[in-house]
Amino acid sequence: MRKLIVLILALAALAPLVAGGAQEKAQPAAAGSSLAWIEGPSVHGLPGVNPLKVTGNIITAGSSTVFPLSERMAERFKEEGYSGNITIDSIGSGAGFERFTVAGETDIANASRGIKAKEIENAKKIGRTPIEFRVGTDALAVTVSKANTFLKSVTKEELAKIFSTAQMWSDVNPAWPAQPIQRFIPGTDSGTFDYFAEEVFESNAEPLLAASNLQLSEDDNILVQGIKGSPYAIGFFGYAYYAENEAALNIAAIEGIEATAANVDNGTYPLARPLFIYSDAQIMREKPQVAAFIDFYLSYVNEEVVDVGYFPANEDVIQKGRAAWLEAMKGMY
Amino acid sequence: MIDPTVHPFGKKMRIHERLIESTLFAFALLSIVITLGIAIILIRESYLFFSDPEVELWGFLTGREWQPMIGRFGFLPLLNATLTTSVIAMALGIPVGLFVAIYLSEYASDKTRGILKPVLEVLAGIPTIVYGYFALTFMTPLLRSIFGMETVEIYNTASAGLVIGILVLPMIATMAEDAIGAVPKELRLAAYALGGTKMETTFKVVIPAALSGLSATFLLALSRAIGETMIVALAAGAGPNLTFSPFEAAETITGYIVRISGGDVSYNSVDYNSIFALGLILFLITFTLNMISRKISRMFHQEYE
Repeated sequence: MRKLIVLILALAALAPLVAGGAQEKAQPAAAGSSLAWIEGPSVHGLPGVNPLKVTGNIITAGSSTVFPLSERMAERFKEEGYSGNITIDSIGSGAGFERFTVAGETDIANASRGIKAKEIENAKKIGRTPIEFRVGTDALAVTVSKANTFLKSVTKEELAKIFSTAQMWSDVNPAWPAQPIQRFIPGTDSGTFDYFAEEVFESNAEPLLAASNLQLSEDDNILVQGIKGSPYAIGFFGYAYYAENEAALNIAAIEGIEATAANVDNGTYPLARPLFIYSDAQIMREKPQVAAFIDFYLSYVNEEVVDVGYFPANEDVIQKGRAAWLEAMKGMY
Repeated sequence: MIDPTVHPFGKKMRIHERLIESTLFAFALLSIVITLGIAIILIRESYLFFSDPEVELWGFLTGREWQPMIGRFGFLPLLNATLTTSVIAMALGIPVGLFVAIYLSEYASDKTRGILKPVLEVLAGIPTIVYGYFALTFMTPLLRSIFGMETVEIYNTASAGLVIGILVLPMIATMAEDAIGAVPKELRLAAYALGGTKMETTFKVVIPAALSGLSATFLLALSRAIGETMIVALAAGAGPNLTFSPFEAAETITGYIVRISGGDVSYNSVDYNSIFALGLILFLITFTLNMISRKISRMFHQEYE
């Protein structure tokens, strides 16, 4: 008799395992393709969005530089009533494009550099045509710890030495201390890394990677921690991370030009660069929530971008993105 | 020996017993299949890495620079950092763990043991990410205040190593206590009968008798320390660096794997494949350590009648 009870118990324990498989299939069907969320007056030429009526999930991934901005827009989208899930993975522009163009797992790719021809080619293979939406401008910030008293301004030539062959600070400039340079830079797949290599090393990343005392991370907070940690540390990342840690970090002027809104706007700051999000017309048409989010993003990004720590893009180029949105959704509403 | 298929009273095994037995067997088999699957995937993916024309096995094993993006494939910096953190961890974990075990099994009253053991078990239950931040926000500042801000970098292997030592401490203490507890009482009594003090009995009789179990424990703890990921990823540093100074930042094998798989590089690139080769090496190291540990416990295992 006891054995029978044991058997029944064992079977009872196994039952949910078997039943579990069947239950998972009963997922809700994908949201319909109606554009019920279009409501209210149009903003800058784009249809008004009522986030309350947007359903379904949105998957995005890419640049850690664009991440704080996308996160802010997603938060605002939710605050205004969007009830779905929006994922924003901060994995670097390259990895973001990889997921968007090769694996096809994401709806939107965040990028701190323009898409490469090779990536467009990959996207075509899986039937996607990337559409570019400019969302802002970043001034890449070269930062040191507040405890650093000697580095106020740096030339591109000095940057090239600091981030490659120089061992000591004094190797770059005899007036600087004879202390080893500790380097903290974004990982090799980030748009920030690519951009820096392009601007400072003419796209040849080799000297940058061959430097000693080098720490790479896709997580900009790890870099911030590291730079804070020593007066002889230096690093670079998107301006927003500097803005967030202004109390602990100093930003160096590049070629004597400071990263101010005016200098970024008129293009004199040497390390200013565009920020983008990418999607695809078919995704936007099949998943109206993606179209709604991009619509919302392009409508209100300029109200948030400064607060996040970046600079607004030129109105003309944002308008170009809005036109691309309208083109992609033509005939849908 | 009793034949397991025949019931001790000679009755034929009932059908549901067979059912239970085969279910249990299937689960046991599953764990073997999973291990095999992992090994096969690791080998297959590492083959992709080693078949890359830029990579040679000899250069991989002896090279002093690791930066796959620019074709530098020497894994010594990573191995060195892994060994540094593990040795530091063992330097803390083994003596402390052993003394805790000796105290618990030889000296502590039942009451103190009743308090100490659960506390140790709580220590074992803390997630490693918490330990990682503990290293970064407590251990590192502590080391920096002792040895000076100039000497100790913000990310360093000493801090990570010490915290891994704390992490493996409960594991060493519990397993060592089991090993010591398994020494028969007669041995202790015989030592006392010969006039040994408690201290002499413990250190000259009981510990040597438990040596096989203890060495197995230490090796298992070592392989746990080598495989530890979260603590080193957070506190040890994020760039390969061949250094023998424990106060400098250096990336371990596991730290590199976690950084790369966290989205650092695209799939199908040589650095992406490299993480499987490193995973295979790690697997081989811990596998060998576990085998040695089994061998030792069998070799020195003394039968007490």
